[in-house]
Amino acid sequence: MPIIRVIDGLNETVGRIVSIVAIVFAAIIIYDVVMRYFVGEPTRWAFDLTKQLYGFYFIMLGGYALRHQSHVRVDLVTSRLSPALRRWIEIAGYVIFFFPFAWVFARRSWNFAITSWKQGEVTYGAVQMPVYPLKMAMFVAAVLLMIQGISEVSKLLLHKADDLQPMEPLDVR
Amino acid sequence: DTWTMTSTWPSSLELIEIDKHWVELVNKLVDDDKLTIEFYDGGSLVPAGEVFGAVESGTIQAGGDWAGYWAGRDSAFSPLSTTASLFNAVDYVNWIQEWGGAELYNEVYGKFGMVYLPYGVTNNESGFRTVSKPVATLDDLKGLRLRLSGLEQGKLLKKLGGNQVSMAGGEIYQSLERGVIDGAEFSTPNVDFSGGFHEVTKYWSTPGWHQSSSVFGVMINKASWDALDEDTQEKLKIAAHANLLWSLANTEKRATEAYAKFKEAGTEITRLDDAALEQVQKMANETIEEVACQNPLSAKVYASQLRYLADYASWRDASAPFNLGRTPNGPELAKIEACAQ
Amino acid sequence: MSGESIALIMSGLLVLGLFMGHPLAFVLGSTAVLGALIAGKPMVLGIVINRIFGDVLDNYVLIAIPLFVLMARFLSDSGVTDKMFEALRHLTARVTGGLGLAVVFISILLAATTGIIGASITVMGMMALRPMLQYGYDKRLATGLIAASGCLGILIPPSIMLILMASYAPGLSVGQLFAGAMIPGLLLGLLYAVYVAVIAWVKPEWAPSINEEEQIGRGEMWRMLAIEAVPPLVLILGILGSLLAGIATATEASAIGAILALLIVILRGRFKWDTFYSALLETGRTSAMILFIVVGATAFTGVFNITGGLRASQDLMRGLADDPHTLVWVMLVSVFILGMFLDWTGIVLLSFPIFLPLVSEMGIDPLWFVVLMAVVLQTSFLSPPFGYALFYMRAIAPPDLKTGDIIRGAVPFILLIVLVCLLVVLFPGLVTWLPHKLYAA
Ligand code: NA
Ligand code: NA
Repeated sequence: MPIIRVIDGLNETVGRIVSIVAIVFAAIIIYDVVMRYFVGEPTRWAFDLTKQLYGFYFIMLGGYALRHQSHVRVDLVTSRLSPALRRWIEIAGYVIFFFPFAWVFARRSWNFAITSWKQGEVTYGAVQMPVYPLKMAMFVAAVLLMIQGISEVSKLLLHKADDLQPMEPLDVR
Repeated sequence: DTWTMTSTWPSSLELIEIDKHWVELVNKLVDDDKLTIEFYDGGSLVPAGEVFGAVESGTIQAGGDWAGYWAGRDSAFSPLSTTASLFNAVDYVNWIQEWGGAELYNEVYGKFGMVYLPYGVTNNESGFRTVSKPVATLDDLKGLRLRLSGLEQGKLLKKLGGNQVSMAGGEIYQSLERGVIDGAEFSTPNVDFSGGFHEVTKYWSTPGWHQSSSVFGVMINKASWDALDEDTQEKLKIAAHANLLWSLANTEKRATEAYAKFKEAGTEITRLDDAALEQVQKMANETIEEVACQNPLSAKVYASQLRYLADYASWRDASAPFNLGRTPNGPELAKIEACAQ
Repeated sequence: MSGESIALIMSGLLVLGLFMGHPLAFVLGSTAVLGALIAGKPMVLGIVINRIFGDVLDNYVLIAIPLFVLMARFLSDSGVTDKMFEALRHLTARVTGGLGLAVVFISILLAATTGIIGASITVMGMMALRPMLQYGYDKRLATGLIAASGCLGILIPPSIMLILMASYAPGLSVGQLFAGAMIPGLLLGLLYAVYVAVIAWVKPEWAPSINEEEQIGRGEMWRMLAIEAVPPLVLILGILGSLLAGIATATEASAIGAILALLIVILRGRFKWDTFYSALLETGRTSAMILFIVVGATAFTGVFNITGGLRASQDLMRGLADDPHTLVWVMLVSVFILGMFLDWTGIVLLSFPIFLPLVSEMGIDPLWFVVLMAVVLQTSFLSPPFGYALFYMRAIAPPDLKTGDIIRGAVPFILLIVLVCLLVVLFPGLVTWLPHKLYAA
């Protein structure tokens, strides 16, 4: 189904690009430490910028992590059920325990981002770094997460889910 | 009606007492069937920086704050919360209650769909506390990395040769101790002492020219305010007035006690001389002009404050030495009035 | 709706979602949403976004989590850890139970450099389990030891668990918690070593010494040890040293650690672009996994709090315990029981908002309390039915090794953890001495 391919491809691309950001904020922190201790001139922007990059980094990766089924789950009970039953429980899981959150997350962060954008919100010190890009990113991340959920449910419905087997062996008896 | 209210202050900081005291007064004055305020400590509902958004959106009905935190949304919040070397606590009380200040709070917060009741005022903040080097003169500030909050304050420090480091209140103690910063200002002596700063700093430079006094208050969602009957609204205002005066006396008492405790803990206290303060005043005036002239609303607030100072100056100076504070040699009123257009 | 009923409903939903096998992060988040709707307060959902932004995205302390994960990835992908184990194995070869001791020591060393237990257990399991079984170690002792030692990484600093705990405990810095957990963590590791030594002495057939032909010359051994011990020491000094000597904050120390680990990889000629890139991708997924649980939990806690569930839960605890001593025991036991089902992130994020206000209300030292919780949480990895360390061991153990043996193997180590908890309760100085020494004016 093309929708699955498109969504998976999108989150895969986002994940592969955004994952690199970790090395960027690590480098900025190191640069700031060096400037402070060896040059004696701390940057004014490193604190706010690293914080924003970190926030952007992990929130954008939510959909990517879901695409790889990396989110921690407790499949004590379900791992012992028949594949068919398990599939329906998985689908119900998305309906009851994924979409309510994903929807509120996306819907409310849209308001949140737009308010900030309209106010031209900046950080409150002398640096005055804009805050709305990060809030916008949070909305985009929420949408990426929600559509990945749609893709995962589609896979379950179409019998295309290859990850019904848990990541860790769970035959703990 | 029941309101949910929180604050920008965690339970570990004394400033939360100002919020709690107002809530107590309201709950005493107002009948339960009219309004009950359920107060939650800062951080337990939303993080400090998000109290504004939560009240603005109506998620919660009220939030205790310090307006300076919202300067990123509109720089006019800054003079509503504090001034660099301008107002003392009595000036704020005078200005808010009789010289039109209260309306300006409602004008600025009103832009965001909120009503504001200023209900706390503290006088001069402590000033910088430093780890290894006293700040006895302005030259000592050069090259120091100092934790400082505020837009005007950061710009002013830059003019004086220091570096502003922005940092949440909870991070200051460790950063001072780990040498990440050379010094920090936080609040009044009693609040600083409750933060344990006497354990990690050796020197204290008075007075707190960066923040000559501070105002605290409650943001109320406009729709929730309008839903109250006039009588209840009036009672909330009465409680705010009573709280304003209580907070001043209470903090000054606690600050005096804390000053003694700092001395007892071996903190070396220095004082900038009058010439230095005069120089700070000049630079503070420049900074205020710069910042005010970038935002007409900010200029409008500053212009109102400067008009009050000019107006009050005649009687205040005549009543010396029994006057309430000083008439500062502040920024030129005409210049800022021009920016307010 | 009363606080009690909302607490009950939200807990019920949480348990249902968990047992349906849905990811914890979204179960927490959706329980928040459903809880608000059931309580008839959809308006409070606004705080969900306020909290996600303010508590998780706009949080300087949590930056350390992806960076420590990245550091661990660099190290384990580069084979640096394998070499360290090889060296230590030779050092302890002449001692009875030496292989077991090597496992403990390398785990402590790994713990002080990384903190990702999955990585530690997998690496140790792959390197140590086969030789241990081959040389006739008791299989329960072997698996239990590797599983338990591998978990030390989350307790011995630097630790992402302690970082998360610090961000939940106002007034406690990461540095204080690191200092506080140092002695209990090392003590636990030491007890594991003592346990192996005692077993090897009482029952030599359970922990035999390795064959002569495996041994190498002393000169060769010392040379190997010197070379292999350098990277972890550089890292420990770089991270803990810069933090405790006052050069850097915990967040900065994590960046220093990641860059040093990368440098070690490069200097050893192990750098490859594709491993580097896959380390970044894996770090991305792991960080998102951990931090999305924080996202879900902050949503859950916010709604739980504003609808009165939190106050109801605290009243329940107050009812169970009206003096500090009983309270601490009630909390310890609840965390132990929660640990059978949840992992540390879930437990910390759900219990701390309930526990910490009560702890300060009762005048209990929060530093001591948080470290005590960190120690008891070690059991959560080992206690059935749901224990990460057990799962990881199951994944790497040969198929003929029964899961029951893995669980039984963990029991003595769970008892040792409980013993350290008792010691921490009896001698609070184990926790407080080092932070007071380091952080006193
Ligand atoms: Na560790
Ligand atoms: Na467990």
